[in-house]
Amino acid sequence: MNIPNLIEAEFKLVYGEIFRRRSALVSMIIYPYLFAGFTLFFGYTIGSPGLFMERVGVEPVVFMITASNMVMSIINTVDDVLWRPLHDAYVGTLPYIIASPINKLELFIIIPVPRLLLLLITGFTSIVPIYVLHYGLNGVVLALTVISLTTFGALTMSTLGIIIAGLVHTVGESWRILNVVRPLLMILVGAYFPRALMPFAAYITSMFIPSSHVVESIHRILLGDIGDVYLLLALAATLALVYAPGGSRSLLYWEKKKVSEGVKTS
Amino acid sequence: MSSAIIVRNLAKRYRVKKRISLLRSHTEVIEALRGIDFTVNYGEVVGLLGPNGAGKTTTIKILATLLLPDSGEAYVAGYNVIKNAGEVRKRIGIMLTVEKGFYGKLTGRENLEYFAALYGLDRVRSKDRIDYLIRLLELDKLGADYKLLEEFSLGMKARLSLARALLSDAPVLLLDEPTLGLDPPSARRIRELVRDLAHKEGKAVLYTTHNMFEAELVCDRILLINKGMIAAWGTPQELKMRIPKLRVIAINIKGEGRVDRILESLGVKYEIKSEENSINSIRIHAERPEDVFNDVVRKFIASGFEIVSARIEEPTLEDVFIYFSEGSL
Repeated sequence: MNIPNLIEAEFKLVYGEIFRRRSALVSMIIYPYLFAGFTLFFGYTIGSPGLFMERVGVEPVVFMITASNMVMSIINTVDDVLWRPLHDAYVGTLPYIIASPINKLELFIIIPVPRLLLLLITGFTSIVPIYVLHYGLNGVVLALTVISLTTFGALTMSTLGIIIAGLVHTVGESWRILNVVRPLLMILVGAYFPRALMPFAAYITSMFIPSSHVVESIHRILLGDIGDVYLLLALAATLALVYAPGGSRSLLYWEKKKVSEGVKTS
Repeated sequence: MSSAIIVRNLAKRYRVKKRISLLRSHTEVIEALRGIDFTVNYGEVVGLLGPNGAGKTTTIKILATLLLPDSGEAYVAGYNVIKNAGEVRKRIGIMLTVEKGFYGKLTGRENLEYFAALYGLDRVRSKDRIDYLIRLLELDKLGADYKLLEEFSLGMKARLSLARALLSDAPVLLLDEPTLGLDPPSARRIRELVRDLAHKEGKAVLYTTHNMFEAELVCDRILLINKGMIAAWGTPQELKMRIPKLRVIAINIKGEGRVDRILESLGVKYEIKSEENSINSIRIHAERPEDVFNDVVRKFIASGFEIVSARIEEPTLEDVFIYFSEGSL
């Protein structure tokens, strides 16, 4: 299988969809601000920046713009994997993908890469200006660190995303389940709601989500506490690898289920 | 010629939930295929003809590894479609619904590049093959290099869909109603190409269609499928010969006189279809119409009638289709 060729094809597909749909491009740039603005608005109506600083330890604007960028990147990676089978079924390309000789695990790992890169570029339009305003020129270095870690965090989610996709799409009207899974992941990843403040059950659950460890490491960096960061990153990578065989099996199960029911061709 | 597709006793049932009231539903079993057998050789186009729900698309889907059969066996290019689905996928080109199956925000070429990557073609081979197919299907003249797919007409999509089926230069092609809804020039172009692919490049083509005219033009052999069973098979000519009673003498005569008495004296079955402006349109049924043709013509002339036209009519493939799918005409 020609992986570079496949990556190039996915880039063309995703960039064709985004750059030829201006609304999609504009929304990618303004969403981090919208998310951050929305959460700050709610935050300010029920508390004060001082209280936030006291509880979380980071300036709320910095925290929220970082969280928004992280959530967008991480959730988009999962979204690409979760929603792609539905999109392909809708546009009618799914039978051609299933009937192609491609290794489906390779394809699903590659699927989120183009959009993720684009989202990271939007880090320069969201995180960098706010960090520079807040930290001065040092903010550029910090922003680059956060963007790099966010990339890593997003990539660690692909195998868990594949497991969920493979299982969810074997049932009818899977989009309803995805609409529940998505916000749960958004919360449990801990970007907006730091893991340390979560209820015990949510805290334990979030431990099984690879990118939640990366998110926590970013929070610690923002707090200036980098002691356990490497451990957290290693934990995220380990979890991603542990989920990989499950992802492969899950996709195989999905494909078998689809074929046993008959892939819709019209 | 060797067999590219071998189907043995292939059966498939669907369980469909049917609502019978607001709160109740029951499961209905539909027998899509009831144990069909056929082969398709390299270098030939085999048409799969049948009414809606006959089992054509089910057959194509099983051969394309998109559906599991309940029983029976199917081999494509020597590989079992269940046990060796991966190998089968390397050796088939498929064309399913024409109007769907592409990404709207990509150009025709970009769509082909995407699917070429899925088929594992490297960059050089992909470019060469796409260039060749775009020229072959005259997509370059239609703007496939710069037009987004959402701007494509149905005819362009059909050509692009055929181009995709040919991307990997697979030896077996499974084409499900490839000309459905197309304008005549596009349909003709596709028919010509399909014949060339089989006869010049030696590919095995399984081709489903509703269009009898098209089946007769394109297919070397035809399988008539009805209610999940093969009702008849053979070349278009062989199929027509299987319903000889449909061969008739169609004769139009002008003049006054008792037409019925003349026909009865010949001892043939007949029907007088119409009578306008003293022209009688008559259809005479006979096992071997050519044996009585001369007698009929001679008798009418001798009785003072003018022969306006007279010919032996062969049944059309449509007659054959209706005969085998409905049991009568």
